[in-house]
Amino acid sequence: MTISAERPTKSVASSTSPPSPHQGVSWTQRPGWLSQHMGTAIIAAVLGYAFGHWLGNYVTSGYPYIANSGQNSSANALALIFAVVGWLLGIGALNYPLAKLVGKEADHETSVEGWSKYFRYTLDHKVVGLQYVVGVLLFLFTGGLLAMAIRTELLSPTTHVFGPGTYIEIVSEHGTIMMMMATSIILGPLGNYFVPLMIGSRRMAFPRIEAFSFWIFIAGYGVIFSALPYGGFPTGWTGYAPLQTQAGPGMISYLLGFAVIGLGMMAAGFNIAATIINFRAPGMTWSRVPIFVWAILSTAALLTLATPTLFAAGLFGVLDKTVQTAFYVTEHGGSSYLWENLFWFFGHPEVYIMALPGFGIVAEILPVFTRKPLFAYKVAAAGMIGVALLSFFVWQHHLFQSGINPDMRPLFMLTTELISIPTGFIFLVGMGTLYKAKIRFEVPMLFAMAVFFNFLIGGVTGVFLSDVPVNVTVHGGFFVLSHFHYTIMGGLLFAFMAGLYYWLPKMTGRMMNKKLGQWHFWTMFVFFNLTFFPMFIIGLLGQPRRVFTYAKNLQMLNDFSSISAFLLGFSFLIFFANLMWSMYIKPVKAPANPWDSLGLEWQTANPVPVYNFERIPVIMTDPYHYSEVGAPALADLGVGGSGDRVSSSGKSDK
Amino acid sequence: MTDTSRNQKPMSETPEEIEYELRGQIGSIWSGGRLFIGMYTFLLASLAFSYFYLRAANNGLLWRPHNITAPTAYGWTIWGLSLVAAVLVIFGQRRLRSGNVLDWQVAGWVGVACGLVALAAQIWEFTAVPFYPGSSGYASTFIGWSVINIGTLAGATYWLETTLARSHRMRRESGTASPELSSAATARLFRANVASMTYFWGFVAVSGALFLAMFYLL
Repeated sequence: MTISAERPTKSVASSTSPPSPHQGVSWTQRPGWLSQHMGTAIIAAVLGYAFGHWLGNYVTSGYPYIANSGQNSSANALALIFAVVGWLLGIGALNYPLAKLVGKEADHETSVEGWSKYFRYTLDHKVVGLQYVVGVLLFLFTGGLLAMAIRTELLSPTTHVFGPGTYIEIVSEHGTIMMMMATSIILGPLGNYFVPLMIGSRRMAFPRIEAFSFWIFIAGYGVIFSALPYGGFPTGWTGYAPLQTQAGPGMISYLLGFAVIGLGMMAAGFNIAATIINFRAPGMTWSRVPIFVWAILSTAALLTLATPTLFAAGLFGVLDKTVQTAFYVTEHGGSSYLWENLFWFFGHPEVYIMALPGFGIVAEILPVFTRKPLFAYKVAAAGMIGVALLSFFVWQHHLFQSGINPDMRPLFMLTTELISIPTGFIFLVGMGTLYKAKIRFEVPMLFAMAVFFNFLIGGVTGVFLSDVPVNVTVHGGFFVLSHFHYTIMGGLLFAFMAGLYYWLPKMTGRMMNKKLGQWHFWTMFVFFNLTFFPMFIIGLLGQPRRVFTYAKNLQMLNDFSSISAFLLGFSFLIFFANLMWSMYIKPVKAPANPWDSLGLEWQTANPVPVYNFERIPVIMTDPYHYSEVGAPALADLGVGGSGDRVSSSGKSDK
Repeated sequence: MTDTSRNQKPMSETPEEIEYELRGQIGSIWSGGRLFIGMYTFLLASLAFSYFYLRAANNGLLWRPHNITAPTAYGWTIWGLSLVAAVLVIFGQRRLRSGNVLDWQVAGWVGVACGLVALAAQIWEFTAVPFYPGSSGYASTFIGWSVINIGTLAGATYWLETTLARSHRMRRESGTASPELSSAATARLFRANVASMTYFWGFVAVSGALFLAMFYLL
């Protein structure tokens, strides 16, 4: 089939009479104050909350009151559920599902120009990607402020800023917010924005489901934050029963928050997987798919299959709290271990939901700044699939010290150590690409290199932790805390920053300031390590997690860690300052391809048109033939009939 | 599973590109349907895991005291109705393939009725269960299954109803006898949607049989 070579074009626009601007568009979608946007969503959510609360009190008056709180758990749960439904109604996410009941197909979507489109339910994956950027930064900023509060409390073991109850609420909220954010931090903004561009598609497979995934993600933020006015929850982000069962009304926000975010995660994974499977441009065989897309596909598979377990676990928890089932109540025939198993069956794949997109970004960036082909591309792709598959078989290592059958430990120790093999593949692919390379130390590359440094420490300590004897000694302490901050923050967040600095010029048409970017990197890298490395020592010396006081002899190390954490927080202020400076105060127009990348996403026009590519491109090879003499052209972009061909220098030549 | 259209401002497309996009949309409906079933399988597997975990643990000998069971008549009725609906949907799709749209529509609407009655029975069963939700492990998992099955039946019936409603509207809009059978893009997408929906109903019936055995027969 000829797609982008010389071919006659049929203009759909010219085949019909010029449409009126709002022809076939319902009033709810037209621009203006009467249309549906974030404002109407907030109003509908508030109304939904009030209605749900009233309904709960009406239906279950006199029934399940939460002990010592004077609150009705059913009313609280229904209030939050109806608030989410109201939010979705208000933003317009339910227009189409309701219209389908009478057989209507989708309304025409008006293209809203200007900033207001970012506050609407939109079908353009690029707008959704940018919405996600703001959304995840909101999560990150909130979670970061809570982290500052934690480190402030830990400045002294005897002088306290918060009481023990408030401290554990802050720790729990910090962990939950950060973990929810981390599941979407790369797939949401960069996956949604760039996957269609990288596979040569003009669209997402299910654009409404994509938009739904974002707006319910924001609803989840509201639900989890509602825990604070309800008095928080004392369980940490893992929500372990039986503490969960004994907790106050804030626990419902935690359980529902995870279920709501889980819906968004499933929707996002489902849509991206279907897009990658079905909308790859002609010629983009599986061996030519960019490595970032492989990472996102593996992540999408994990999101689609692992998250339903989280949803089920959350649902059972809400049922325990409201209709008084006993899933997690051992005294009534349930089991607190059931939560632990369900939670970690999702929770460990979630670690790779967070890690894999980071690996993908780093592997995508390395060839650009080393001007070398990606070393062992197929091994990297196989490693990602291997990690995704094995991640379903390791969850019990989180329960080594819980009293599980000791005979189970060696099996899960083995599977956990096994997963380090495909992870090692990906690491070695990076090292192979760096080998004898002339590296350009641009800001994205600095962040990418830091991922290797941080993840090496996080990964090696992970191998220690998978060993039962070591695990017995260090579980539940700061050693574990430091390990997962090294993998998640040191791996994922640094990779996100690498991706953001790398792709923001394409997303916004503006370059980030290099000097400020370097300041951001060095402060973040140095103070990240100074914050978290001492925690390994603190953990080995016996300080437990989630406790607001500690032994006096650990104060110096804790103070060192706290002061470093404040400076780490300051590094994020540099990032925000850079963002404001480069985007609004003194914007510098980005060149069409500032890094001379071969990636297909850089070959489209700037700014990217609504339909991404003027013609659907025909892919001729993979995008990693850097510095290869006589390398084949990457793609036939089909513009102007003869077809633009992108050479291995990253330049488009006709 | 028809959420594949993006009616934005008109653009210039070659016939090949239009066909390529359409194939992508049809493929998305096909693979989306299978992914959805995969997702649902893990949701139901979580419930099944909970069932067998609590059954094996039998904490405080409170898995199922006195071998009490949810009303078996309700269980058979609900599953029987979902089976009938699934068989009708499968039969209807075969008739649609052979060009008998009316047969598909009649089978489909009877299927919707079965789905709604099954849904009502599943909700009404709450008034007839002989135990409190938290009285045992069995009682808890049964309530969990009931809530999930309410969602499943409502979702599957919604999918069937919206497909039928689309069929009627296509007729009205096109003014032709069987627009569902044409080679137009909307008809091809419609048929892909019918195929995915039929597959899901089959899944509902099969998974329902497994849970019927677990909760009412074992």
